[in-house]
Amino acid sequence: MSSPESRFNSHNSTAVIMPAKELNKTCMECKEAEFELTVRKRQLCSSCFRRFIAHKVQSRLSVYRAFGLDGPKHQLLLPLSFGVSSSVLFHILNADRQHRLSNGRPLGYDFKILVIEPSTVAATGVPFDQNYEALQKNFPMHTISRIPFYSIFDYIPEMEEIMQDYAGSKFIDDSTRSNEERLAAFRASISTPTSRTDVDTVLLTRLIVEFAKRSGCESVIWGDSDSRLAAKALAGVAKGRGASLTWQVSDGMSPWGVRFEYPLRDLFKAELLQYAGVCAELSDIIIPDQPPCENVLTKNLSIDELMLRYVQNQGAKYPGVMANVARTANKLNPSTSDSAPTCALCASLLGNVKGNSGVTVANQAEDNHSSQFCYGCMRSRPDELC
Amino acid sequence: MAPTACFNCKEARAVIIRPKNRHKLCRACFINIFETEVHETIIGTNLFFPGERVAIGASGGKDSTVLAAVLKTLNERYNYGLDLCLLSIDEGIRGYRDDSLETVKRNAVQYEMPLDILGYSELYGWTMDQVVEQVGKKGNCTYCGVFRRQALDRGAARLGIKHVVTGHNADDVAETVMMNLLRGDLPRLSRGTSIITSSDASDIKRSKPLKYAYEKEIVLYAHHRQLDYFTTECIYSPEAFRGSARTLIKDLEKIRPSSILDIVKSGEDMAALVPVEVRGAGKSKQFGAEEESAGGCGSQNGRTSGGEMAAMEEQLAENEEAESLETEIKLPNGSRVKANRGPTGKAVKAQTIKHCERCNYISSQRICKACTLLDGLNRNRPKTAIEVGVGMEDEESSSTLMRQMERAQLSAT
Repeated sequence: MSSPESRFNSHNSTAVIMPAKELNKTCMECKEAEFELTVRKRQLCSSCFRRFIAHKVQSRLSVYRAFGLDGPKHQLLLPLSFGVSSSVLFHILNADRQHRLSNGRPLGYDFKILVIEPSTVAATGVPFDQNYEALQKNFPMHTISRIPFYSIFDYIPEMEEIMQDYAGSKFIDDSTRSNEERLAAFRASISTPTSRTDVDTVLLTRLIVEFAKRSGCESVIWGDSDSRLAAKALAGVAKGRGASLTWQVSDGMSPWGVRFEYPLRDLFKAELLQYAGVCAELSDIIIPDQPPCENVLTKNLSIDELMLRYVQNQGAKYPGVMANVARTANKLNPSTSDSAPTCALCASLLGNVKGNSGVTVANQAEDNHSSQFCYGCMRSRPDELC
Repeated sequence: MAPTACFNCKEARAVIIRPKNRHKLCRACFINIFETEVHETIIGTNLFFPGERVAIGASGGKDSTVLAAVLKTLNERYNYGLDLCLLSIDEGIRGYRDDSLETVKRNAVQYEMPLDILGYSELYGWTMDQVVEQVGKKGNCTYCGVFRRQALDRGAARLGIKHVVTGHNADDVAETVMMNLLRGDLPRLSRGTSIITSSDASDIKRSKPLKYAYEKEIVLYAHHRQLDYFTTECIYSPEAFRGSARTLIKDLEKIRPSSILDIVKSGEDMAALVPVEVRGAGKSKQFGAEEESAGGCGSQNGRTSGGEMAAMEEQLAENEEAESLETEIKLPNGSRVKANRGPTGKAVKAQTIKHCERCNYISSQRICKACTLLDGLNRNRPKTAIEVGVGMEDEESSSTLMRQMERAQLSAT
């Protein structure tokens, strides 16, 4: 055992293992700093990790850059929820902007930030004033707007009529009440968690789009991670909204003439959490996710919640398979029939996509509302039995 | 508690809560509504023409038994003028198929329909029992699925019938949609939901008149009409992996009963949005799926197994790794994004429909899937079991399948 050869051959030999351990500690990218994180089987230092994540995001937005050299500067809208994903997206875009400004390079695009007050969206909303102040204080160079959810009545005046038609005769809109109370009453008229979440998403999207249009933004950049997009795709399909995936999950033109981009589509939620972990500036801004409730019966979950959980659980075992769901949805062609009538509420196509001869729509034609609202919205209507 | 009156007729006592929309119905109204909905599907999709000869793919299970019963009823009630018959495939699974075939034989008498049974042994020279003996219990469903698909077509061809209807229900279709989305299989997403599947190359069309009918309602219908059907699952998949899609759909149904139909609707819309260039292509080579995912097998149809998911995960991870390596060497920023952006960005080989060189069945490959599987089986068959000595070299010219087909045709005439 003491001979020199046996020492080198032995697996237990400290003389051989020690230098290898030293080597393993350096970042695989820059080969200088010590690695801090493991991402996609690679050990990286925090700055190389941030570069890797930022690159994934910027490459998704490069079309806006390509024209930016001398052409017009594109104006984008970033809705910020103070969640991990949209905060990380903001951080990456901000860092890139600073970098370009300090190097005297053209920006290509600029972005505005929209905050829809979380406390007006979720009843259990956490106070966010401190986070908002931190955002303003740490990033004073940005245009940040803050509006409540119920300002939807101001931004989209026809909304009260749409809501009345949608909710049916059982719901009576009292125009003497405040916008806040009217929105609350409308939302309360929808009975199931699935339908409530579904309609809330539709209303939020419409408010954000309307804000984008009024503030001269040509695109909305959404902070949906890959995991989130997979859950959205599956939930959309389960709610009969498969035809709308071409803008709800894919990058593309929305029905309102504003483009939707999802620049975080190549990143998993776990990676965004890692990113947030190495950015001290974000700790005051991010409102951490509420841990999912363990004791909820499946039938009391919303479909969106079920799918998020499904993607999280399955994603732990099969991250690639889950990632592939959003990629698959992104390959669908947008529907081509421009002149086809659309839903008054969510602007999806009424009836079937051209080329679909299925009769699911005919099955529910007895209801005259289907002339105004799409299949997906009809399913979430207040007086639907289920 | 006072009995609830039927939601429909408001008179009789409600004994059924409809799984689809939770309406409370009496027995007569439920049966009537179920049949009317199938009728509306048939009329709405122009499924049949008067005088058409239609073969019902009958397994003796609930779906095909209900299909036979409903079609017979509707054919008489609405004068479709259809010439209906039953077509059964005998996979050769002792203890399962021989019992269910007895059910089909009784059905033939009950519904006064002619019955034709075609066996795997007769077609392929292998019963499923023999296949399992050779390949084991794992993965034998692939053989069964591929063989069955061809067998139904061949059976119909033998009877000179150009339309085969199968008992696929809404749950099967919804499951297929979810599964193809999870598998990222756009070509199958584009064709899995259509009520009629036929290709230009084949003159036999397949359709599923029950595609909007809930599995639970099919069971209720069978129960309330006291239909004679066979309930045991195939003995080769009692441990059948309740695949991801299946579990998901069961959960969704608990949350919103209409989900199954909603998924079908989404699937139909998305099928129309699949880029034309991608539609024909198949991925079966890549992930080893059956030719038609909801392949009509009572217990395994449309369900993916954990192994398949893990295999795909591995492959995707490899792709990702390769891609990331490539990206690190060169970064053609703009062009890469453009390539990903377009819906047709990924180059997909268009599928050309050919005929199998061995058995002349339609196939995208030179040799069809059944012949490829048979090759594997025959190569490993113990020498004593080989009926005619077929060397590796001879296989090109005289395949087992071709011989068996000829024999089958001879015996039919």
